[in-house]
Amino acid sequence: MRRILILALMAAQTSTVAAQQIVTSPSPEKVAVSIYRDPDRDDGGIELGNLNGFALISETRTVDLPAGEADIRFEGVADGIIAVSAIVTGLPGGTVQKNRDAALLSPASLVDGSLGNRVMLRRTDRATGTVREETATVRSSAAGAVVVETPAGFETLRCTGLAETLVYNGVPAGLSAKPTLSVRTRSAAAGRATITLTYLATGFDWAANYVADLSDDGTRVDLLAWMTIANSNGASFADATLNALAGSVNVDSDYAELGTPPTADALQLRCFATGSGRYGQPDYALEDAGEIVVTAMRREPGAPMALRAMESATPVTVVAEMEALGDLKLYRVPVPTTVAANAQKQVALLVKPNVPVRRLYQVTLTPFGEGDYQLAHLLRLENRAAKGLGEPLPAGQVALFEPAAGERRYAGAAMLRDHAVGETVNMLVGLSSQVRLKLSAANVKGQWTGELTNANPHPVDVEVRFDLGGSATPKRGLSSLPRKDGFSIWAVTVPANGTRTFSYRTGQ
Amino acid sequence: MMVRGPTMMVTLALAALVPATAWTQSATATRSAQGDLSVTIYNGGVSLVQDIRQLDIPAGRSRQEFPDVSAQIQPATVSFAASGTGIVEQNFDYDLLSPDALMQKAVGEVVTLIRTNTATGAEARERAKVLAVNNGVVLQIGERIEILRDDGLPVRVIFDKIPPNLRAKPTLSITLESKSGGVRPATLSYLTGGLGWVADYVSLFDEKSGAIDVQGWITLTNSTGTTFTAARTLLVAGSPNGAGNYNTRNRGRGTLRRAGTETAPREQLGDYYLYPLAERTTIANAQQKQVSFLDVQRVPAKKAYEYAVGWLISSSEPQSANSVIRFSSSAQGGLGDALPAGTVRFYQRDARGDPQFIGESQIGHTPMGSELGLTTGQAFDVKVQATVEKRERISDTRWRTSMKYTVTNAKNEAVVVDVTQDGLDWYWTDTRIIAESLPSKRRDSNGTRWNVAVPANGETVVTATFETRF
Repeated sequence: MRRILILALMAAQTSTVAAQQIVTSPSPEKVAVSIYRDPDRDDGGIELGNLNGFALISETRTVDLPAGEADIRFEGVADGIIAVSAIVTGLPGGTVQKNRDAALLSPASLVDGSLGNRVMLRRTDRATGTVREETATVRSSAAGAVVVETPAGFETLRCTGLAETLVYNGVPAGLSAKPTLSVRTRSAAAGRATITLTYLATGFDWAANYVADLSDDGTRVDLLAWMTIANSNGASFADATLNALAGSVNVDSDYAELGTPPTADALQLRCFATGSGRYGQPDYALEDAGEIVVTAMRREPGAPMALRAMESATPVTVVAEMEALGDLKLYRVPVPTTVAANAQKQVALLVKPNVPVRRLYQVTLTPFGEGDYQLAHLLRLENRAAKGLGEPLPAGQVALFEPAAGERRYAGAAMLRDHAVGETVNMLVGLSSQVRLKLSAANVKGQWTGELTNANPHPVDVEVRFDLGGSATPKRGLSSLPRKDGFSIWAVTVPANGTRTFSYRTGQ
Repeated sequence: MMVRGPTMMVTLALAALVPATAWTQSATATRSAQGDLSVTIYNGGVSLVQDIRQLDIPAGRSRQEFPDVSAQIQPATVSFAASGTGIVEQNFDYDLLSPDALMQKAVGEVVTLIRTNTATGAEARERAKVLAVNNGVVLQIGERIEILRDDGLPVRVIFDKIPPNLRAKPTLSITLESKSGGVRPATLSYLTGGLGWVADYVSLFDEKSGAIDVQGWITLTNSTGTTFTAARTLLVAGSPNGAGNYNTRNRGRGTLRRAGTETAPREQLGDYYLYPLAERTTIANAQQKQVSFLDVQRVPAKKAYEYAVGWLISSSEPQSANSVIRFSSSAQGGLGDALPAGTVRFYQRDARGDPQFIGESQIGHTPMGSELGLTTGQAFDVKVQATVEKRERISDTRWRTSMKYTVTNAKNEAVVVDVTQDGLDWYWTDTRIIAESLPSKRRDSNGTRWNVAVPANGETVVTATFETRF
């Protein structure tokens, strides 16, 4: 009587555990990808081999739901999916629970899952090619080695020197090929549902790539910005709605870790010692999961990727549309776009011809900085509509082209942070060897002399910025200078092939 | 028949739904030896597992093994109770079965060797005594002494038995003294590592109406190496080990702006809130499981901008102010619950109505009734540039510093930015504000704060003069 009761109990338990019906959703019908930059990068371009940004992916999928409880398994999601961020909407019965299963099918999990079960032990005679199989029972777990029970007794796998392997007659329950995201839902009636799966995924990044074409007289630039996006996931997103977000979003959790699911342990066979003092390591081949190989072309230093795009002077026909999203800027590609696996893509972001620009040379001095300085070479733009610009400028890289000897030539590169409308943009394109400063201490204590030299055949505008330091009084001779950005600024023009000298005294 | 009926039907249903590409799962899945399971999971460190198994215990002394306990069991914490029994001893054996261990234990025993002729495949069988296993196996075969496979040729070693203390997995066993024989429920409980949980919040922010919709998910992870089948699951928002150290002093403005004084309508264990899962659930090995625990709509929330200057110092470029979303966990006008520690992810709808991610922030365990201010990111269009305009020495020990704060707003709507000047209190100095263009509120001895209103597409300049002792 008691025994029957237990059996009944077990039966009930089995059915509740196994009652899940499984619905597989192989791929989305429609997908939207919004790419966010590496949150730790303030300026500069992306690194194809190391994409530290992420994306919000929103997939529309159609599923046929049975009545009752069912698990919907999602396939074809990005490899870098951050499972904890997944949201599923549109299920008539709601989400009972979400699961990310990462017990993976592997050589080691096959052994572990077969503990105590019957398997076939297959031996192939190397001399004759004869194959012999016998039943065996797995007696050890995969940690360390495999011990099996055969009709002959207890044996160890692959310690014999024979060609031998285990053959399994099924996959242990609960193992999957890849980490799998699923949701459990409870539907009142069977029916077709259109659902949206939204999640964050790692392995994306984007940056703006500006091409600045300086006019012949050096007073204007044609500005073209590309939105350069890249995807290092193995998944492609065909005909996607593509957005890129500029601005900085706070990220507190470790996305790299969250986007990397646990991997399967390798099966490591270890035998007893054979021979005289050598450990007999069996010749097993580790199953190599295969690393992601980035196939896109590597960018050569000094040749920005925007270079290629600009060499064809074809006007761009598709330009991303910008809208404000809270405190971020959202750039939407107006046509469906394919974000391919392991690929980089560029879409125009901004086209602004004929923007007034000022070229100047700058040096920042602490009052006691004796020495020889190369001045920084800057291009300065006012980001205002009245000055021909007035657009949010997302962070990225600038490639500067100048006409020289009758052709446009690459003349320098700059890093650009996010600039709001109304800000002054200083593009630092390099250090000049033609425009220099020599600062020397005079015989009188606290007296300094500077000599600016210009080796160019044209006059140059120079800005000398004095940093008074955190705890010093204003220096005599400097206190009358205008202040900007926390510096006292002396603006001066150095004549063509000429010099300008100045002197000042430091206090106390 | 009673047993097989439902199981078979389920199997058929499964087979119909699984696509043809899927592999065949073993027909005979290994049944877990676990009984009626209850699992209590804390935020970090340890979890409590209670496992009520139906054991057939004979009268007198017997040894009971407990397979399918957590692979990360802390064996010293095991407790056992079954009616009419007393515990003689508890053992945790972790002498694992491996070829090497098998050979070590075979010293002095006789094994069978099967040699295979590599040219013909012919097998020759002989018995050998294992003399020693020291960096090589020394065998005695008849009168000969030989080293196993020293010539590298194939030799199968067949052991007659596996010593009883060599096990496939670490095994817990309890030796019992029972008054009578028969099946009875036996309660096994133990602590284990490898289980933990955090909360993940999905928060949709509606900037125009100033409201958030918040869904709270419990995310529990199992890395024990063991699947817990059909377990009653209870989550405790806290860690008795003190692992979740959230009460450390926060630099700058933390997420918790004012600690609440309301009690959430949930069961408590000491100071910890309890979050029971509604139904039994199977927590599979290597699984990450999410279950909803909070779903509230239209909770008032306000966007704010905050910027802090660490010391009386210049920044050569304007810097973005933090975008902060402020809301409450109060029953009145708030989320109405205590919030277990986790990550809050904010979303906002774009012009097309699609939700986009706008940033995330982590929170500690937060009592009900608290005010929170969570930073979502740094504003593209709202920036602050602090500059030292003048610094002069007015006596041997006193300095006067004039600061200028330029707050710019490139948005097409007016904003208010909380600008904080920090670093006013170092050691015993008494920093005073001599003059300011806008009244500030002294937050504490170290900082003072201005609420700076900035018009749309405009800028506001605030100046202040500080006198410090040095």
